[in-house]
Amino acid sequence: MTPLLALVDCNNFYVSCERLFRPDLWNRPVAVLSNNDGCIVSRSQEVKDLGIKTGTPVYQIQSLINKHNIQLFSSNYALYADMSSRVMSLLEEFVPSIEVYSIDEAFLDLTGACQEDPVVYGQRLRTTVQRSTGIPVCVGMGPTKTLAKLANFAAKRWSRTGGVLDLSDPARREKLMRIVPVSEVWGIGSRTAGRLNQMGIVTVRDLACQQAERIQARFNIVVARIVLELNGIPCLALEEITPDRQQIICSRSFSRRLTEYRELSEALAEFCSRAAEKLRSQHSVAGHISVFIRTNPFNPDEPQYQRSAGMMLPSATQDTRMIVSEAHRLLKVIFRTGYRYHKCGVQLSHIQPASVPGQRDLFDFTPRGKADSRALMDMMDRINRRFPKGIAVAAAGFDKSWQSKVERLSGRYTTDWRELVRVK
Amino acid sequence: MDQSLIGIHATDLWRPVRGQRLPLPMPGGKVAAGFPSPADDYIEKTLDLNELLVKKPAATFFVRAEGESMLGAGIHPNDILVVDRSLEPVAGKVVICALNGALTVKRLEQRAGQWLLAAENPLYADIPVNEGLELVIWGVVTAVIHPL
Repeated sequence: MTPLLALVDCNNFYVSCERLFRPDLWNRPVAVLSNNDGCIVSRSQEVKDLGIKTGTPVYQIQSLINKHNIQLFSSNYALYADMSSRVMSLLEEFVPSIEVYSIDEAFLDLTGACQEDPVVYGQRLRTTVQRSTGIPVCVGMGPTKTLAKLANFAAKRWSRTGGVLDLSDPARREKLMRIVPVSEVWGIGSRTAGRLNQMGIVTVRDLACQQAERIQARFNIVVARIVLELNGIPCLALEEITPDRQQIICSRSFSRRLTEYRELSEALAEFCSRAAEKLRSQHSVAGHISVFIRTNPFNPDEPQYQRSAGMMLPSATQDTRMIVSEAHRLLKVIFRTGYRYHKCGVQLSHIQPASVPGQRDLFDFTPRGKADSRALMDMMDRINRRFPKGIAVAAAGFDKSWQSKVERLSGRYTTDWRELVRVK
Repeated sequence: MDQSLIGIHATDLWRPVRGQRLPLPMPGGKVAAGFPSPADDYIEKTLDLNELLVKKPAATFFVRAEGESMLGAGIHPNDILVVDRSLEPVAGKVVICALNGALTVKRLEQRAGQWLLAAENPLYADIPVNEGLELVIWGVVTAVIHPL
């Protein structure tokens, strides 16, 4: 059976979340700011049309902001994480195997899943997500992840596609590849793109026409695999491309159903350890953690349960101990006996470079210097896998004064009873 | 500072989902010597308000009502409305709509071919849906949570 993969990617995700509850902003320029309200991280189409790039510091574009009355928001992670989990759970109702790639994108394995034209299926997916959650998405499809990603790029850029594009047909693929620059290919960074350009490889098609062996000799196996993937030969596992993430998600479906708190907490500790490792490998710290558990939605005979909970970490951290113990606290809140759990996971967000001296909790007594030692962390991970309760950090104060600057924070419309949106 | 469920400061517990069970145990079988009653298997069953009120967790949102335009529908100021975005907004349903840039709750009605956003209070005028009206249906209200 020909493989068919889809990448579903939310459009301007943070902005879309903010706009859902603010119809007055539906046709106005809107942007969401990074931690500490420093840079632009999500832009509405109107803001993109003004030529403002992602990552631009606010102070550089103050005059544009005033002139066009751009509405700015601080990052509202509680809202985005909740909206993300809504989108992902809808996608999971379509197919059993999805890989949540980031807070706003997921790969779906549609091999053998579409009885109809894949484009019609993609439209149905898109309509369902948009209608149920209010979040617009684009769907890119192809026989490989790299092609699905490319298809998604094109679906976003050209409105004629109706937000859904299937690149299974090699002829259609070639047409598109001729007009897209090689720098847009998933996994080709700006340095690699520069070197490719020097070799006369300018468009995606130029790269797809290369011999994989030659590319491997000049670059490396990763770029060589991209060449194969562009030709419809699947060979890139998801984990093999790991750009620095703004969210780190570790989750897994269990091979057998788990019913005990102890089993789930062990699995969760493992995911936390991996997430923390990933965090450390990119020299970052996380400020927000969320945990989810769910039963198998494809087994309607069993009682269904799914729940997630999230919270700001007492201080931004890369410390496995803190991440594990906070995750277990959240798990305790959402765990219910009597269900056969199929999947659980942890998501770290509010990520920033570790070199920025984190705003520390006034009452955080964790010896930071020692805590960051890798050996200790590895030991921690092993202990936590063996002993379900883990080693609890003597949880200190919850003085929130360390929190980032969030002057333009919107309501936590979906996670706090006191902040519900008001309707007249 | 928010003190939540079990002393954890998880101020942002997420979204309506099934399973947050209220412990209202149903009566089980009588204790008897010998064979256990088959009814004992059901002794743990409790009633779940989420099960009653939230059919589609991913599509369900809670909003807070303001004003008195929908008193006749039993919607009072400060009530919490359960809104399902996945439902078809057909005539007769109470809907949340984005009307000229603001979220509003009204009953969607069709009278003699004319679509209306009807208030349920004689002091408020119905709004005919005409061209030029910026209107998007946001979701369908399925229940009102009204404290007494």
